[in-house]
Amino acid sequence: MAIELKISEVKMSAEQSGKWGMVIDQDICTGCQACVAACAMENNISFVGEVDSGYGRSMHWIRIERFWEGEYPEVKMTANQPMLCQQCGHATCEPVCPAFATVHSQAEQLNLQVYNRCVGTRYCANNCPYQVRAFNWRDYKRPEPLSNQLNPDVTVRRVGVMEKCTFCIQRIHKAQDVAKSEGREVVDGEFTTACAQACPANAITFGRVDDPESLVSQLMKQSHGVKHLEELGTLPNVTYFKGG
Amino acid sequence: MSNKFSRRDFLKLAGVGAATTAILTGCGPASRFVKREPYMQMPEYTYNGLSTYYATTCRECAAGCGLVVRTSQGRALKVEGNANNPLNLGKTCARGQATLQGLYNPNRVRGPIKHTRGERLYTADANPFQDEFADATPNMDWDAATQAVADALKNHKPEEIAFLMGMAPDHLFDLVTDLAAATGINAPVRFGALSMFESRATLSQAAENLFGHGGLPLFDVGGAEVVFSFGANFLETWLSPVSYTRGFAGLREAKTKQRGTFIQFESRMSSTAGKADEWMPIRPGTEAMVALAIGKLVSDARGITVPHAFSDVDPVVVASRSGIALATLQHLAGIFANSTAALAIPGGAALGQSNGLAVAEAVLALNALAENFGRHGGVFFSALAPNQTEYQRPASAREMQEFAQKMADGKFKVLFVHGVNPVFELPASLDFKNALKGVEQVISFATFPDETAFESDYVFPDHHSLESWGYQRVVTGPAQSVLSGAQPVVSPFYDTRATADVLIAAAQLAGGEFATALPFTDEVEFLRSKIAPLMEEKQSFFSAPDLNTFTAYFQQYGGWWKTSDGRRVPNTSNALGREMSPAEAKFAGEGEFFFVPFVSPTMAEAGANKPWLQELPDPTTTVMWNTWVEINPVTAEELGLLDDDIVKITSEAGVLEVPVYRYPAIRPDTIAIPFGQGHTAYSRYAEGRGKNPADLLGQHFNEAGDLAFAGMKVKIEKTGKQQPLSRLESIMGVYGVGLGEEK
Amino acid sequence: MSDNKHHAGHSHEEHLREKHLMLDPLPRGQMNDMVMESMLEKPTWKFWVVVGFLSFIVVYFLFFKWGVLIAKGQGEAGVMRPDYWGIFLVNTVFWIGISHAGTFISAILRVFRAEFRRPFTRAAELMTTFGLVQAGFSIFMHMGRVWLAYWLMPYPNQRMLWPNLHSPLTWDLLAITTYLLSSTMYLFLPLIPDVAMARDRSTGWRKTFYKTLALGFRGTEGEWTHLRNAMNIFAFAIIPVMFSVHTIVSWDFAAATRPGWSSTIFGPYFIVGALHSGMGAAVAVLAVIRGTMKHMKYFIRGEHFDAIGKLMLIISMAWAYFFFNDYMVQWYGGDKWTQQLLHFHEAGPMGWMWFAMLVCNIVIPWAILWNPKWRATPWLVATVGIIINFGMWFERYIIIPISVTINRMPFTWRLYKPGIEVPMGIGTLALFILLYMIASKLIPLIPVWEVQEGQMAHELKKFGRETVVSVSELE
Repeated sequence: MAIELKISEVKMSAEQSGKWGMVIDQDICTGCQACVAACAMENNISFVGEVDSGYGRSMHWIRIERFWEGEYPEVKMTANQPMLCQQCGHATCEPVCPAFATVHSQAEQLNLQVYNRCVGTRYCANNCPYQVRAFNWRDYKRPEPLSNQLNPDVTVRRVGVMEKCTFCIQRIHKAQDVAKSEGREVVDGEFTTACAQACPANAITFGRVDDPESLVSQLMKQSHGVKHLEELGTLPNVTYFKGG
Repeated sequence: MSNKFSRRDFLKLAGVGAATTAILTGCGPASRFVKREPYMQMPEYTYNGLSTYYATTCRECAAGCGLVVRTSQGRALKVEGNANNPLNLGKTCARGQATLQGLYNPNRVRGPIKHTRGERLYTADANPFQDEFADATPNMDWDAATQAVADALKNHKPEEIAFLMGMAPDHLFDLVTDLAAATGINAPVRFGALSMFESRATLSQAAENLFGHGGLPLFDVGGAEVVFSFGANFLETWLSPVSYTRGFAGLREAKTKQRGTFIQFESRMSSTAGKADEWMPIRPGTEAMVALAIGKLVSDARGITVPHAFSDVDPVVVASRSGIALATLQHLAGIFANSTAALAIPGGAALGQSNGLAVAEAVLALNALAENFGRHGGVFFSALAPNQTEYQRPASAREMQEFAQKMADGKFKVLFVHGVNPVFELPASLDFKNALKGVEQVISFATFPDETAFESDYVFPDHHSLESWGYQRVVTGPAQSVLSGAQPVVSPFYDTRATADVLIAAAQLAGGEFATALPFTDEVEFLRSKIAPLMEEKQSFFSAPDLNTFTAYFQQYGGWWKTSDGRRVPNTSNALGREMSPAEAKFAGEGEFFFVPFVSPTMAEAGANKPWLQELPDPTTTVMWNTWVEINPVTAEELGLLDDDIVKITSEAGVLEVPVYRYPAIRPDTIAIPFGQGHTAYSRYAEGRGKNPADLLGQHFNEAGDLAFAGMKVKIEKTGKQQPLSRLESIMGVYGVGLGEEK
Repeated sequence: MSDNKHHAGHSHEEHLREKHLMLDPLPRGQMNDMVMESMLEKPTWKFWVVVGFLSFIVVYFLFFKWGVLIAKGQGEAGVMRPDYWGIFLVNTVFWIGISHAGTFISAILRVFRAEFRRPFTRAAELMTTFGLVQAGFSIFMHMGRVWLAYWLMPYPNQRMLWPNLHSPLTWDLLAITTYLLSSTMYLFLPLIPDVAMARDRSTGWRKTFYKTLALGFRGTEGEWTHLRNAMNIFAFAIIPVMFSVHTIVSWDFAAATRPGWSSTIFGPYFIVGALHSGMGAAVAVLAVIRGTMKHMKYFIRGEHFDAIGKLMLIISMAWAYFFFNDYMVQWYGGDKWTQQLLHFHEAGPMGWMWFAMLVCNIVIPWAILWNPKWRATPWLVATVGIIINFGMWFERYIIIPISVTINRMPFTWRLYKPGIEVPMGIGTLALFILLYMIASKLIPLIPVWEVQEGQMAHELKKFGRETVVSVSELE
């Protein structure tokens, strides 16, 4: 009984303290890959070449999944499903890292990946039910002068390090810094993640889920939102509107 | 949204420093002197960690989306959409995002080069991951280069000088047009593979035939309730994908009406068709009759007299020819008839057939039946850009054929090429490469060492678009009349020079009427002369008392646009009275398979040199870094083909060997290959990668002169070779291959 | 008649003596000499060829390739999404499994006073230590940034960064380190009287070497008492360590959120699996020692293979029970991804491995080891042992790279193709054998004091006409 209480307490607190969240409308996602490109451009993600990308080593932090239903001519492409780190409230990746390289941010309620603490056991990626972590299998180089594009706000990762979507934490911090210097709170919609900003269909909405007035909170209240693999108790912070 | 904001609001928001409405800097011509400093050495005027944002225009395609580029220490770091620009409202496509990979491409042309035709401009097998500087070294200076251009202009008769230009940028096109008008040299010809695959000429010709007035139709997808698209891949590359995608989102998440219905008629499910509620795998060549049959059935359903346009068609015959059951046709007609805001869009492969014009007319006639012209969710003529008096369409493929013929016949002594790569983009059967041999002097202004630059005598590299001044007319998309402005966001990386500057300087050197035609000191002055008339316009997004301030605003906001709706309403009085032919398209070639080339949504015609575009999975197949041929699994089984088997595809024009992708959503009698790869030059990322389906295209045109690229039939043979395609998807998880569950 | 009977009685006794080492004592001096001789025997050219060959493999396949792996990254191996774990971890589990038999034979059989253990406890203990060395290598090979491996250790540091005690990998590291240290000490303690014996019989550098190792052991009653006490304490203490190590290894998988891994039976299942492969390896090692070293046919006899063969049979049955228990529970759970995975195991592209595992681990041991005659045939039992090791390696391969192919995101499923792991894995095997070969020349592989002790306790007594084996309590 006591244990049960404790678990539910933990669950409640984690649920309540979710901070940043995302709503993705699969019905209007066209699968155009703009978010994937925007993410790569913003976050200094390496490209890996034809052979490695065909062998499950591509470093996309966000990928667009699509399946097929039925057979020709009744075949249907399922709604495009952008899959990225769900920034779980109870992340399965966090407890398994022996070096505390993937930890929960108390301030932002995000799953952090501390690149310089990572020793590369890859347990977190193995344990991620969403399979959204990308490992630096090699030192993928950017030939000069491509490196001029590197975003100075984002760490450049080297070989042997795990990485994943951060909800563009550099943008979160920048917005918070600016707001703080102006003595105000961050306004909903003041900034957004690279993927949401690029999305031509506006299928991605990002914002504070702990602010009931924010657009993302309003959207999350809609009845057709689902969270993936919620049954595992991961408390994901990305809500999907299924297609159709 | 931007319309509601006053400038004061905007500046306030800009002060907040929000990323979506970033601080835009318009520092006038001074911004061309932005310095790139080492990160270790901090110039006094920058604060560590503070970025500068410049508004400019995307040139990855000709749509003219506004960009805001984040820069720091003189480096461009990130491209975002310009939230002010009414065309894209802050959004970008994947190609726009990857612009920087072009700017920083390791194989750019580094300076003016006198070049032997056919010689390489960079090392052949440069490792994609190494820092090898093996590019051709510039072997002349810009004075000599300018002199060479001046000599070329001055030493030839005007009719011996030709300009072949890309779809962007418009300011250079205007400059050359002015030059041509004043000196009598041939007017510049514009072309782009995208315009060829969009069948733009057909679209505007059909509009002219139906409405008695040419122009590029604008389809208000966002306002419609029901959208029937005949081959228009408007979510991928068609005309203006970002604004059409916004329209699609509007169709689906409609606030005031039901979720809109979208039906796509196409022999292969494109990623646009993948978003449709119903995909109609129509038999290629029957689009016109299907459109007409739907028109007839809609008329029947509405209980009105069948208009003359639809009277010649028998839905029963159509059903048997097109492969769409009569009941389905009636069902579709019912959807169309019962909607108060139905819209039909012709485009893409449907128009790239021998009867493409008839298809376009038939589909536009459906709109006449829906009476949606000029209505919310209907058809308009796109607003003309601010400095445009009528719609100027790019050259059709037939015009390009004529152009190439003139070249081969030695009619041109000098050819200037800018912003287009005809050797790659035109069908191999046109043999542009050989036609170039008929031209004495080919001067390329290519930024990248592309196939055409390889065949040139001089390469005088233009700046990359992010290092350039300019403007681009927005030909379609927004309701307003929009001119997107471009300014350099970084100082040029290499010893490149703006082609406009080269031409102006060369014209001065050439003297005579050349000098008087371009009486400018430089490109910026030319631009100001073009922008100045806009100051007089009413209903403008901003106004300024003097030209300096006006151009500063122009740069700061990333262009100029009106606040009023500039769309025109087609005259539909005669649209349904015309006779329309339900005849099927004719197909060239012997084979048993219809051949559908389509433009790769992520790569388009010029994306192959950007490594991250190469690594973006195709939206339908998730293949990266390569070309594939889509074959229905049933057909593949009959032919004994598995995934990754290389097949030999033979058309009347050529042969291509491509690995197979068993694609579940394509007609069994059709195969499809994406266009965008198969370069023989164009940097280490593009060269030798994949195949170019344009090699299979013969010279067949529709009535409007557009290439009948989807009007070929091809043969397939198994080669016994294999090449694994690099896919993001799991072939096991998605198709169940290798799970032990196959039949 | 009576003569005949006498003769029969004599031959029975002879037979017993021939069969059982404990009943076939030789003078102490002679036995010591035999052990010394087997160790000091001048190596033949064949020995050097094998050593040279193995050294080459170790240097090239293990160390050079490891350098390549470190320089170029884990991309050299076959790992990718979703198979983030590959053969390196298969080998880690495999070698830890091998190392289990050493402790099992030495500690458990010692605690239970199984007399047949006496001549081969040393060989088995060496297996523990040498196996753990390979396991340690394998786990470090697996790490993306192995040069930072010390971050997994709880060492004092300014930033107060500690390893995460929630992570099964941290438990693993602690358990394996404990096991390595304790098993090395447990190897060393019974070695003391033997090196002391060797010290007294050697000269030159060997004398110095043994003198150092013997810690001044002279064989006084007091020394023996202390040694016996220490060994008893260790024998009891190391058993829970041994059980915990492989249970914890199994938790790496069982504690994860993956179909096919979250299984509560994994702890005992892994232990039994470890013993299964470990016994197989032990018997193979014994057969090699018996076949290649001088005098070893005296020390290691059919009875030993027979005894280990019985153990192998029982363990094989236990393994089969746990395997099907695990399978049934997973199947009965009805989770759709687990169903998919179980189906994939049998029918997928690596289905052959699943069936091969069952054949190697169950069918072959059961078919051969039930027969007492076959069981006492060293080469046959050794072959079965090697086959079991293949089977158990397959089992780990199925649990790791094949099982992680199937996850809850079908869009990412992909089949693992090994790369540099294969030569490096072969390198660990070569190092394991090489260490044994070096050890055979440096330390007495037979705990001669333990054999002598056993022989002193065993007697053939005559009760009337019957010859009976009697064992007196030691101490």
